[in-house]
Amino acid sequence: MRHYLSGLAAGLALFLISTCGANAAASCGTDGSEAATGEPIVIGAITGKTGPDDFSNSTKAAKAYFDCLNAKGGIHGRPVKYLIEDDQWNPETAAQLAAKLVNDEKAVLMVGNSSFVECGANADFYKKSGIVVVAGVGVPRECFFAENYAATNAGPRASMLGAMGYALDQLKAKSVVCIGPNIPNVGTWSCDGIALLAKEKGFVAETILMDPGTADSTSTILQAAASKPDVIILGLPKGVTIPLLTAAEEQGLNQTVKFLSAASAYDLSVPGTIGPGWDGNFYVNMEFNDLEATTPDNQNWLAVMNEYGQTSDPRDTFAQAGYLAARIAEKALMSLDPKDVTRESTSAAIRQVKGFTSDIFCAPWYFGDSQPRHNANSTTRMAVSEGGKWKVISDCAPSPDPELADIRAFEKSIGLAP
Amino acid sequence: MTYLPFLISGLGIGAVYALSGVGLVVLFRATGVLNFAFGAVGALGAHVAWQMLEWRLPLAIAILAAVVVSALVSFLYGRLLAPLLSRRDTVVRAVGTLALALVLIAVMGVIWGEFPRRLQFPTDQMFLTVFGVRLTYTRILALLLAGLMVGAITALLSRTRLGLDMRALANDRDLSAILGVRIRHTETAAWVITGVFAGLAGLLLGDLVRLQGTFLTFLVIPAIAAAILGQLRSLWITATGGLAIGIAEAVLTPIAAISPYRAAAPFVIALIAVAILGSTAQAGLKDR
Repeated sequence: MRHYLSGLAAGLALFLISTCGANAAASCGTDGSEAATGEPIVIGAITGKTGPDDFSNSTKAAKAYFDCLNAKGGIHGRPVKYLIEDDQWNPETAAQLAAKLVNDEKAVLMVGNSSFVECGANADFYKKSGIVVVAGVGVPRECFFAENYAATNAGPRASMLGAMGYALDQLKAKSVVCIGPNIPNVGTWSCDGIALLAKEKGFVAETILMDPGTADSTSTILQAAASKPDVIILGLPKGVTIPLLTAAEEQGLNQTVKFLSAASAYDLSVPGTIGPGWDGNFYVNMEFNDLEATTPDNQNWLAVMNEYGQTSDPRDTFAQAGYLAARIAEKALMSLDPKDVTRESTSAAIRQVKGFTSDIFCAPWYFGDSQPRHNANSTTRMAVSEGGKWKVISDCAPSPDPELADIRAFEKSIGLAP
Repeated sequence: MTYLPFLISGLGIGAVYALSGVGLVVLFRATGVLNFAFGAVGALGAHVAWQMLEWRLPLAIAILAAVVVSALVSFLYGRLLAPLLSRRDTVVRAVGTLALALVLIAVMGVIWGEFPRRLQFPTDQMFLTVFGVRLTYTRILALLLAGLMVGAITALLSRTRLGLDMRALANDRDLSAILGVRIRHTETAAWVITGVFAGLAGLLLGDLVRLQGTFLTFLVIPAIAAAILGQLRSLWITATGGLAIGIAEAVLTPIAAISPYRAAAPFVIALIAVAILGSTAQAGLKDR
């Protein structure tokens, strides 16, 4: 009962973005009573903080977790020195920062990276340097097609197809329009997945690529409605999703077409912003568990944020991703001899991670040793907008993306999938 | 696919571009300042209106507050800061307003954040159906307002003492001063007028597009394109130009090859306008 109440309080605290209800104690590492004082283990991170959007919530959460870990004994007495750099959404800056962290700071591992530009800029460099990245949030295709880069999130494509799977199974959709941004390796990548699945399963799919900077959402919506689809799937930032939904409501489409979105629209403020016109009509895919879930690990994430993060740090999916990345890194580092924490030994330990469980994930996370690419999180949930909140409406379901065939085959080979 | 529905969908935003363009031209004619902060000033007003509605104040008060705040910010800049640059050339004066825009973006970011909000008016729910597209009363209002404001400003310029002073300033600043035109008074009036235009445009864009500081700030660019089409002089050509830009962006939607890039339409139109009208606009600038 006490746990339930504290969970409720933490949920309220999250809602009010305050720390007033933080009475669940954060648990990190071995939960030792003394702070770690040994030689620091250097871990780097690159995030896109300043620029078109702020992706740094992931590294903020990872930092909170490492601070917690350091206060409670660290990695067998050695603290983590966590160095976060802002790539400013500039690939050149991202490359310079990677060189700085890896070559100059001698980082043994990268954790919690969340950047729109970093994967494309640095994937080869990480591979050459023999360093492994346990990223927070990966967005473009390059983040899921690199040998040394494994994200904890599902990515826009797996998420988009997770939503499509729901539309097919539960909403019985026969025709769909996919709207994505005209950004190479993001919008086309996601909508191509829908088109591929359409060919496989025999439903009608159309793709519309739009400039996220357009002021005219109505025309995009009219274009989408012209083919009279059963469902419209959006793979856009929430800043672009909300105006599109507004335009759709203006045209009365919220009454006739079901709208779904990839996880990018899963933000606690979205249902309230779009209003009651979308109750039961706007579905969103979730890469992780409900932000307000009262499950143990999700509550621990919130407790870590409350005790070791800033009050102003958002408690969003990016933060969940960063927290998970830090926990995975901790698990791998704990398996090492504390006197032998090198880049080689750390990389080897990360590669061996499999069956990492957390109630924030749908399925156990693994790195995928010797795999040319990584996408361990490809099992997702769905929620629907209702009464100003998200209501989780589905169990975990694997994303039906045909491109995940290699991932599924690997999971089978290591006994993770049936 | 027919183009007619897109023509209708482009009307609303086109009307706001027209309104914004005219607001820019009025100021430019009287003061020689191209106001890059126009969008930011309007966005600030729209945010104030949103906040008032959140506090459950009546819609009329929210709208009034938006226009008053926009006019006030514009007035303060025009009265206190713009005169410091009045002897510098056009580019410097324009860049000065860019500073105001950046400050306002920061202020909005700190107070309201960059999360897009929804500003709604009761007229959003009422509509006519034209060519199968719902044309909301908000959009119709935008069209009417654009026409009304251009008419009102034209009347002001041609029939009032203030208008005469503004036209005199537009022709020759130094000569006007010698003839007894109260320059600072006239310029300040122009700043207030442009502030009112910005407030109205901001409210409409906050409803029709999205309520997000940075985004609305940059919507000054299509308005500048419209103003360039009007050679920074003609109110009616500017208004027509603004409407045309809004419609152009919308009707490019069904053309598959261009559709993903149609948001660039205002920029392309502005570039073409500069290329064709550049020399005459240059002459207009030299006048100042």
